[in-house]
Amino acid sequence: MNITMDKINTIPHPVVLDAAIKPISKLKKGSLARIVQVTEFTEFGKNNESVSQRLKELGFLPGAAIKVIGFGFLSNAPIAIGINGTKFALRPAEASKILVIPIAPN
Amino acid sequence: MSQTRTFRFALVGNPNCGKTSLFNRLTGARAKVANYAGVTIEKRVGELPGLANAELIDLPGTYSFFVTSPDERIARDVILGQMRNESPPDVLIAVVDATHLRLGLRLVLELKSLNRPMILALNQADAAQQQGIKIQLERLSQQLGMPVVETIAIKNNGVGTLLDEMAAIQTRLAHQEAQILLYTERTESVEELYARIESILADCVSQPTHLPMWQDKLDAIVMHPVLGVITLLTVLLLTFQAVFSWAMPVADLIDTSVQWLGDFIGKQIPQGILNDFLVNGLIAGSGSVLVFLPQIIILFAFILVLEDSGYLPRAAFLLDKLMVSVGLSGRSFIPLLSSFACAVPGIMATRTIQDPRERMITIMVAPLMTCSARLPVYALIISAFIPQRNVWGLFNLQGLTLFVLYIAGIISAVLVAWVLKSRNKGDVFPLLLELPVYRWPNLYHLFSGLRERVGIFLRRVGTIILSLSVILWFLATFPAPPLEASGAAIEYSYAGMIGHVMQPLFAPLGFNWQMCIALIPAMAAREVAVSAIATVYAVAATGTDIATDLGPLLGQLWSLPTALAYLAWFVYAPQCLSTIAVVKRETNSWLATAGFVSYLFALAYIAAFVTYRVALLLLTN
Repeated sequence: MNITMDKINTIPHPVVLDAAIKPISKLKKGSLARIVQVTEFTEFGKNNESVSQRLKELGFLPGAAIKVIGFGFLSNAPIAIGINGTKFALRPAEASKILVIPIAPN
Repeated sequence: MSQTRTFRFALVGNPNCGKTSLFNRLTGARAKVANYAGVTIEKRVGELPGLANAELIDLPGTYSFFVTSPDERIARDVILGQMRNESPPDVLIAVVDATHLRLGLRLVLELKSLNRPMILALNQADAAQQQGIKIQLERLSQQLGMPVVETIAIKNNGVGTLLDEMAAIQTRLAHQEAQILLYTERTESVEELYARIESILADCVSQPTHLPMWQDKLDAIVMHPVLGVITLLTVLLLTFQAVFSWAMPVADLIDTSVQWLGDFIGKQIPQGILNDFLVNGLIAGSGSVLVFLPQIIILFAFILVLEDSGYLPRAAFLLDKLMVSVGLSGRSFIPLLSSFACAVPGIMATRTIQDPRERMITIMVAPLMTCSARLPVYALIISAFIPQRNVWGLFNLQGLTLFVLYIAGIISAVLVAWVLKSRNKGDVFPLLLELPVYRWPNLYHLFSGLRERVGIFLRRVGTIILSLSVILWFLATFPAPPLEASGAAIEYSYAGMIGHVMQPLFAPLGFNWQMCIALIPAMAAREVAVSAIATVYAVAATGTDIATDLGPLLGQLWSLPTALAYLAWFVYAPQCLSTIAVVKRETNSWLATAGFVSYLFALAYIAAFVTYRVALLLLTN
C-alpha cells in the first residue's frame, strides 16, 4: 500500500489490543467474558455517542461480567447477552463496540 | 389559597419494572386513557382512592433522561414540566424492580438530581425475597434521602403503605407549586454514577449472584434458533386458532340476540320510518360493533399474556435479523402482530421504535396485516363462492383460501417495506432490547388491561361504526322510491346514486353497482361492507342471519372472478377511517397520510384488476 506521509494521520487508529481482547460480537454461544472497554467505534453516525452512553447506562461498563446466551433465528444476530442478572439483545453493530476478555468457565 | 389544586403524582421507572400493575393497584384499575397534546403517546391518569384532590400519572417506561425514543422523551418532558398543557408533577414515585436494583437505582439517582420530592417503590419484593435478595429499607432510605416502600404490584401488599407515604407528602407539600425544570447536562459520568450505586448496594443489600435456574432453562428452549422458532409458530397458531374458532360461538350468540332484539322491537312499534330506523339502522348497527367483541377480547388477551409473561421481546429477538433484511426490526414485530387484531392499536404500538424511518415503514405496512375487521367480509364471500372441499386430503379449500389472503397481506408488507427501505437510507440505530425475566401473568392485571383496551375499542371504533351505520341507513332509505318503481328501493336512494356514479370506475374490476355502494359505508370499517351488501340486496330487512341468507344469494348474483376481485380489493384497501386518523396523528403529517391512503388504494385497484382478469382467463378456458 502506498501512503504518503501527509496522509498517514487519516488512517484509522487500530485499537491496540491484547490478543485475548475481542468484541462481544466475536464470542460463541455460552461464552463468559469480562468487559474491558466500550469503544468509540463510529458505527452509528451522529447517534454514536448516545448509543455508547446508553450501553453504559444499561450496565455495559468495564469490569462487568457477561454471558452469551444465544443468537437469533438462522444467523449470528442479534446476540442475547446476560449482564448483572438482566438480559439484553444486541445487534452486531452495538455488540462490536464492547470489548471483552473471555473468562474460562469454572 | 382559595381553590385547591390537583396534586400530581407521577410513576417513573424502567420498562418491565411492573409500573403499570402498580398503577392499576393504586387507582383501582380506573385509568383515564387520553393522548398527550400533539402526540399519540398514551397518557394514563387515574384518581387515587383515599387521597382527595390528587391524581396519578403513569409515565412511559424509561431507562434514562438521555432519551432515545419518543416514549422516553415524553416521560422526561412530563417530569420536567416541559410538556404542553401539563403542569409538572409534584411528587415522583420511582418504581424499581427489586430484582434489578442496579439498573433501577441508576434512574433513581438521575431523577434525584432534579430535587423533586420522591418516593421509592421497590416492586417485585416477593420475587426478590425468593431469590434471597435482602434489602435494608431504612438504610437505603437514608442513603437515598427519600421514603422507601416495598410493594408487590401483582398482589395488594405494600400498596397501603405506599398510599400512606403519598398522603403524608401531599399534606406536607399541599401549598407548594412544583416548578418547571431545565435539565441539559450530565452532572456526573455513567461510571461515577455506577460507582455510587455499587457503594449503596454494598451498604444496604445482600444479593446472591444466581438467577433462578428455570428462567435460563426456559430461555434455552424459547431462544433456541430451531426450538424457539417452533415455539413461536405454535404460539401464533394457537392465537389464531383461538381468535377464529373460540370466538365464533360467542359471536353467533351475540348475533342471534341482536336479531331477536330487532324482531322484538320491530313488533312493538308500528311499521314505518321509525321502526325501520330502530331495527335496521340503530340495532343492526350496534350489532355489527358487538359481534366484533369476542375476537378483539381473545386477541388482546393473548397479546397481553404474551407481553406480561415476557415472551414477546424474545419473539422479537428471534425474528430481528429476518425483519432487518426488509427494513424493519424485531421491535416492529409487536406492532405488526397487534395489527392482526386491529391496525389502530398496532400503529399506536410503534411508538417504542426508536428509528423514525423504521417507525414510518412499520406504520405504512401495518394495515396489510389481515385485521379482524376483514374476517366478516372474507367469511361471507368465501362461504358463498369457495366449495367446502378437501385438498390433498388434509386442507379445507375454504380455510386454504383464507390462508392465502393472510399470506398475500404478509408478502405485500414485506415487499412494500423492502421498497420503502431501499428508497431512503438513514442512520443506523441499535436494537438494545431488554429480555425481561419470565413472569406468570397476573389475572388482575390482565383483566385491567383487557377492560382498558376493550373500552378504547368500543369508544373510539364502536362509535364511528355505529354513527356510520346510521348515516348509511339514511343514505340507503332516502329519497323514497317513486310509486312506479320496479327495482329495489335502495336503487333510487342517495346510496344508489353514488354507487351508480362510481360503477364505471370499478367496471374493469368486475364490480357491480351494489358492490360499489357497499364500499362507501365500508370506509368507516371494513366489516360494515357485509351489512351494507345485505342492505343493498334487501336481505337484512328479513331479520334473519345475514351470512346464511346472503351467501347463497351472492353465489347466484356475482360471478366467481368478481367475488375473488372483491376479496383482493379488501386485502389492500385502507377502508378504515380510524386507521387513517391514527396514521395522521402518529406521523403528524398530511403528506404521509395522503401517501398512505393513495398507495393502499392503488394496490387494491391493481390487485383486484389482476385477480379479476386472471380469474376470467382461467375460468373461461
